[in-house]
Amino acid sequence: MDTFEIISRLSPAFGVSGEERQAADAALELLSPYGEGAFDKKTGNTVFWRFGRETDGSKKTVLLDAHIDEIGFIVTYITDDGFLKVAPVGGIDRRMLLASEVTVFGKECVRGVITSTPPHLEKDNKQLPEVSDIYIDIGYTAEKAKKVITLGDKVSVVNAPVKLLGDRISAKALDDRCGVAALIKTLELLKGESLDVNVALLLSSKEEIGEMGAKTGAFDIKPDIAIAVDVSFAYTQGEDREECGELEKGPMIGISPSLSRELSHSLIECAEKNGIPYQLEIMNGKTGTNADEMTVSRGGVKTVTVSIPQRYMHTPAEVIDTKDIDNTARLLACFIGGLK
Amino acid sequence: MDMFTELEALCNINGISGDEGRVRDYILSQIEGRCEVTVDPLGSIIALCKGKKKSDKKLMISAHMDEVGFIVTYITSDGLIKFAPVGGIDPRIVFGKRVVIGDKQICGVVGGKALHHLEGEEKSRAVPFDKLYIDIGADSKEQAERYVSLGDSICFDNNYITLGKDRLKSKAIDDRAGCAVMLDMIRQGVEYDTFFTFVVQEEIGLRGSTAAAYTVAPDYAIVLEATTAADIPASSDDKRVCELDKGAVVSFMDRSTLYDKTLYSLAFETGRQENIPVQTKTMVAGGNDAGAIHRSRGGVMTAAISVPCRYLHSPSCVISKNDLVSVRALAGELSKRIFEL
Repeated sequence: MDTFEIISRLSPAFGVSGEERQAADAALELLSPYGEGAFDKKTGNTVFWRFGRETDGSKKTVLLDAHIDEIGFIVTYITDDGFLKVAPVGGIDRRMLLASEVTVFGKECVRGVITSTPPHLEKDNKQLPEVSDIYIDIGYTAEKAKKVITLGDKVSVVNAPVKLLGDRISAKALDDRCGVAALIKTLELLKGESLDVNVALLLSSKEEIGEMGAKTGAFDIKPDIAIAVDVSFAYTQGEDREECGELEKGPMIGISPSLSRELSHSLIECAEKNGIPYQLEIMNGKTGTNADEMTVSRGGVKTVTVSIPQRYMHTPAEVIDTKDIDNTARLLACFIGGLK
Repeated sequence: MDMFTELEALCNINGISGDEGRVRDYILSQIEGRCEVTVDPLGSIIALCKGKKKSDKKLMISAHMDEVGFIVTYITSDGLIKFAPVGGIDPRIVFGKRVVIGDKQICGVVGGKALHHLEGEEKSRAVPFDKLYIDIGADSKEQAERYVSLGDSICFDNNYITLGKDRLKSKAIDDRAGCAVMLDMIRQGVEYDTFFTFVVQEEIGLRGSTAAAYTVAPDYAIVLEATTAADIPASSDDKRVCELDKGAVVSFMDRSTLYDKTLYSLAFETGRQENIPVQTKTMVAGGNDAGAIHRSRGGVMTAAISVPCRYLHSPSCVISKNDLVSVRALAGELSKRIFEL
């Protein structure tokens, strides 16, 4: 399936950490031709096994992880005027708050707008509001709001996916739905192939609040090898080139003291052999991805990161190049196809 | 056409100050055959709508076609678009928004470095306009120049939706709401001959209305607008200016005009007699084309009737449908009574 089409199904689905069901269902529908899996209510994870799984111990298991959750807010209070007060879920960028449009995932989905002190009452209109300063206007009275919304309901920004020039796209929650898309495309490329390994997908929950889903998910799957597919920083004006990859230059293969150097090199070799563009992402300890939890799952798991370069992370206008998703899928498929 | 269907059509048109052509074309197509129409040298529409009765007095009803936005000022070697605001835009609302550029309607997003790399004050201060840029997906200046030119207009990408039961959220409600009310008045017909002016360039300093008021040379004027409502929990009661669902806003004074007392009183009296909710502004704030019209030529008795609007000048303006109905009703009734003064 066309990558933009996959993103168009995954990105709009609601999936703020702790409320991943809708996003997981969208992914499961796209995955259904390639295997079997289900959403786990207990953890919020979705574990999906590719067809051909052997449970007799004859095959090793590769875990491909991408987190299905996205950053957002949680409703903490409803004012007498029917406005919602919220707390952040994950790392919220204060620069993008004001005048953004949101969905509140209550008994029904309710649209709203983020507001704060109006400019004419602001002595310093350069100061960004904190999340604790904002209100969400949903156009309801307090009475009506309380019928539809319960404290603890989650809120996400709204921004339907859109194509920019070339193969670039912009949407909310591309962190990490584009990783999920890469995993879907990986299974599409491997369809019908006879493999020497079991392939498990972990669409993990609650990454944005501390890699919680990866911890329980890796425990349940018991992998021999794990690959965390997430987004990382792509260079744009204002960034330091040394800290970033670049759009369109391919998946970023992680090298770090906390990762398996063997796997990093196997991936590099695989990319070289198959003519797949790649970049390196050098880290000096933990990676800030689900790999950090998976490496120390049970008795330890050989783990590596593969990251899709992204601009404007954690804003409603995240930007990626779909060629980087496609090349990530090619790299993963070639790598898994070659595993014994 | 229903006034709200028309408002949606109008809000979805992109037309920043100085680039109102698409809005003008839409309005001209709607009033054709209903008015005697001229387009003045600045691009404002002056439409004389004939009534059943004649009067030796002239009434001008005015709304502006332009909206706030941005203009392309530079394209970087990386293919990023630098821009400047057109009209008063709060720098805190721009980052991370989606925009549409130029006649080719090129989609872009306002970006900057990632949250994770911000240091010190960068985390708490709005990014100034000269540090913001738009990413259209181009990698080089040459590629970007195939799609975008210096001077192109930039609008917020629009998403016109209903909030709650009877509230509307869109860009450009300021002042397509006024345009929608005037189009409805023209469709319904007027009692007395009335000049309707759909003017340009309000947002950069009341320029279209200055010229149009000279040309029409009215005795009375009614400006139809959207005005700041700050009825949100972050404002104390005395600083809310006006409130949604409290009716049409008629102000005694704003930053551009001390309004004519006769018309101010007439508006409230009309509201009382006709059961139309009317409120005033509780702060001297904002300004509109009345500032130019009331001092045109030898002076014009002027009133402004506004729809209260939250988050003005943002992609997420919010109004109540009920208030727009009140503005429409009051404008209709006042435009009759003015001739009977």
